[in-house]
Amino acid sequence: MTAVESAPGVAMSAELAADLAAASLTLARRFAAGATMWCLAPQWEPHAQHVAVEFVHPVIVGKKALPAVALGGPDLVSTVRMSVRPGDVVLAVAAAAEPAVASVMRRAPAWGATTLWIGNGERPQAGCADHVLWLDDPDPRLPATGGFVLLYHLLWELTHVCFEHPGLLTEPECTDDVCVTCSDEGRLGEVVTPGDPARVRTAQGIEDVSTALVDAVAPGDLLLVHAGMAITKLEEGA
Amino acid sequence: MTGFLYPFLDAEERDQESLLTDLAASARAKATESAALRAATLAASAELVATAAAEMARRFTAGGRLFAFGNGGSSTDSATLAGLFAHPPLHGPLPAWSLTADQAILTALGNDVGFELVFARQLIARGGPQDIAVAMSTSGSSKDLTAAFREARKQGMYTVGFAGYDGGEFATSADVDVCFVVRSQSVHRIQEAQALLGYELWAAVHCAMDAEMEDQCAATT
Repeated sequence: MTAVESAPGVAMSAELAADLAAASLTLARRFAAGATMWCLAPQWEPHAQHVAVEFVHPVIVGKKALPAVALGGPDLVSTVRMSVRPGDVVLAVAAAAEPAVASVMRRAPAWGATTLWIGNGERPQAGCADHVLWLDDPDPRLPATGGFVLLYHLLWELTHVCFEHPGLLTEPECTDDVCVTCSDEGRLGEVVTPGDPARVRTAQGIEDVSTALVDAVAPGDLLLVHAGMAITKLEEGA
Repeated sequence: MTGFLYPFLDAEERDQESLLTDLAASARAKATESAALRAATLAASAELVATAAAEMARRFTAGGRLFAFGNGGSSTDSATLAGLFAHPPLHGPLPAWSLTADQAILTALGNDVGFELVFARQLIARGGPQDIAVAMSTSGSSKDLTAAFREARKQGMYTVGFAGYDGGEFATSADVDVCFVVRSQSVHRIQEAQALLGYELWAAVHCAMDAEMEDQCAATT
């Protein structure tokens, strides 16, 4: 452990540094647009609280206080679902196999949330979160060595550097016909009230969606929605 | 503000790329600084870690328990350390708690007797002569923490302080048995090094408690 943490030479890979940079710019843009960051760490809850206090009460006097909140307790998925508004950010510090975090990450696009996932060991599937900040060392003790603390400290530091570049805080607008964000090509929705039409939560809000093309749906099911129709039901783990 | 009406997209993209390049370089530089500080801190504290671990192991074996506390980010780091002792991914659990875990107790004490006593009063209620008090702080001088150490000393507890900068009051206080000082001016770098020190302390306690691990421990430290 010690050898890994304090290895001479390379302290951080270029890849992880680039991931941190991109995550920080995204986070600064989301905050600039009014986001709240919801922080989760079911196995090591103090990490969620540390991230939140870092952003709410900066250690450097004069830095802007930003809305960040640690969430925990039983039924974490429901708590996050209730808390998140479109445009918000969800940050998790958790292993790839953590079931509540994996579920939140799958659902986040339907809630209109941007996601950051910090962890170590086996990586989450590609595309599971908007930004993955990962330490590949699988040692289960790593969460208690300060490795994650370094990552979220740097995330805070770099996010505040971005605030010094106000011209870059506006998200580039989509100008392309096939821009996924703007088009209606299979947006993710989460069933609120089953039926046909079903009431479905998407990044745009609550919508009535026809379920004629899919099997019976239940609350919490994830659907791909296109032109007012549910075209696919996503299976658990898909 | 003409850029708003007529954005030069290419120029803007280049700016973004150059910011991202700067951010990544900054992240690597800070990570290197953090790693160097952690390595230097471990090297400078090795003897102190062994001393503290031996006494903590003796107390745990005799039925002692650990209480960890701190303010702000340091409260979360001390909670992580308490969690490592209590629910370790390897080795057996040892009795340890964070004194910031119960908001009813924290707010009752803060409201009724003052924030300075939020930890000291919990130690009055729960602490005993075999127990261990661990406080994490960057300044080493927070009044609620020094008050808690004063109480811990009164009860015969073993007191372990983590501080930054020059160690603050922890470094010279007669109430503190062992003070780990992370010699840095950056709150963030101090906390990162303290987390690793806390981890090393936990590992060393298990080395000291488990004779079968001695060979392995000698090989890694």
